[in-house]
Amino acid sequence: MKTIMLVCSAGMSTSLLVTKMKKAAEEQNIDVEVFAVSEAESKNYTNQANVVLLGPQVRYILEKMKAMMAFREVPVAVINSADYGMMNGKAVLKQALDLMK
Amino acid sequence: MKKIMAFLEKYFVPIAGRIGSQRHLVAIRDGFVVIMPIIMAGSFAVLINNLPIAPYQNLMTSMLGESWKSFGGQVWMGSFAVMSLLVNFTISYNVAKSYNSNAVAAGAVSLASLMAIMQPAAEAFAIPYQWTGAVGLFVSIFVALVSSEVFVRLLGNPRLVIKMPEGVPPAVAKSFAALFPSIITLSIFALLKVFTVLAGVTDIHALVNDIVQAPLLKLANSMGSALTIAFVNHLLWFFGLHGSNILEPVMQTVFMQTLDANISAFQAGAAIPNIVTKPFFDAFVYMGGSGTTITLIAAIYIASKRKQYRSLANMAAGPGLFNINEPVIFGMPIVLNPIFMIPFICVPVVTTIISYIALASGIVPKTVAMIPWTTPPIISGYLVTGGSVMGSLLQIVNLIIGIAIYMPFVLMAEKLDTEKATEEA
Repeated sequence: MKTIMLVCSAGMSTSLLVTKMKKAAEEQNIDVEVFAVSEAESKNYTNQANVVLLGPQVRYILEKMKAMMAFREVPVAVINSADYGMMNGKAVLKQALDLMK
Repeated sequence: MKKIMAFLEKYFVPIAGRIGSQRHLVAIRDGFVVIMPIIMAGSFAVLINNLPIAPYQNLMTSMLGESWKSFGGQVWMGSFAVMSLLVNFTISYNVAKSYNSNAVAAGAVSLASLMAIMQPAAEAFAIPYQWTGAVGLFVSIFVALVSSEVFVRLLGNPRLVIKMPEGVPPAVAKSFAALFPSIITLSIFALLKVFTVLAGVTDIHALVNDIVQAPLLKLANSMGSALTIAFVNHLLWFFGLHGSNILEPVMQTVFMQTLDANISAFQAGAAIPNIVTKPFFDAFVYMGGSGTTITLIAAIYIASKRKQYRSLANMAAGPGLFNINEPVIFGMPIVLNPIFMIPFICVPVVTTIISYIALASGIVPKTVAMIPWTTPPIISGYLVTGGSVMGSLLQIVNLIIGIAIYMPFVLMAEKLDTEKATEEA
């Protein structure tokens, strides 16, 4: 099973998105695990994630996060801000799945 | 307008991004994140002890005796009173961790270094609590950053590893790896202390406090500094960058100290000194999140007929009550939206001015408690002012003003969108 890690400043707003993404995955019968953490906590989860998505408001940590995940060659990307604003679980799930291909 | 935006996008945004991901600033921020639950515990303990409700105070005294407040006092001793020691460890831990180095060892060495330069209390051989609280934060952070940098560098140096004869288990050799780096790091700080004493400075903490910290805090506790923080935070958010996250190191090092002074005064029953503190912003300005966006949601419910806005408001209202507003910021969107830029920056600036005046004039009590930033408005105003209804009232006034400022812009945006739609049709 693939694990998607969402990261933002406090892991609050991304946790809203987690529910939406899980729902979208369920509807499409995709077996994934999605969780949200704060930037500070993220370094404790580097072994779990298969893909990392950042909230657009912390896009400035992209390079740092890429470096942190490089040892397992985990893709890291920033969530599209329109999808983030509308909490579009389906679109973000697709983004995550495409990155893992 | 376009030129200004292009200029800011080109120069301001990359700098802000670099600040937001700068190793040491991130370590300071993450270090404070770790101790925040402890600080909350201390803050609630002080609040419980000092709620200005006479029947409650009488009840507690009659039930538990005169000494019932000592429990809260002890919690304060373990939190606010030693904040500088706690955060010294967690910051150096995070610096070392960012280098993938031995984080726990770096934290321990850093705390040892801090104690090495601390001047014991004059009367007895004792830890000077005067400097272990928020007042000692500057020295504490400085030691954490410098000692962990030195320690991490030395730890990576192969020449400082003791060569063990063959046959010695590698784990034993490894256990000596931190020996020289620890000795050298601690010695640097011990020597610093020796030389400063020789130079006539007996107490480094007192020196830093007098020449840096005290003047800076005085400057911080002004309307100008409050407005600067409010303005920069929202300018960053306007470009879609997490303003409060980027400013967090400043908030914590400076505006936690102004709060700490307030809490100490509150405990002692003295006059509360500072207006501008961390909870000042959280409770009175960032209601519903940066941009006081809960008032934008309310303005949409009142004035907007547009389906898209109303469905966004429905989605954003729940998180908004807990001051989480990314759906509003990226959904409206407010980011790079020239219409909403004006109220998004104006509302917090205006509420900052009103709140500052309300607190300075004494109409509303000053902030004396740290609360989780997710505490809903109205409740948060009551709590941060040490249990004063005036705190909630000020929030209500600010909310009404926010709604009034946002409303015309919601109508304007709606009108422009309809015009655009008919043009396209």
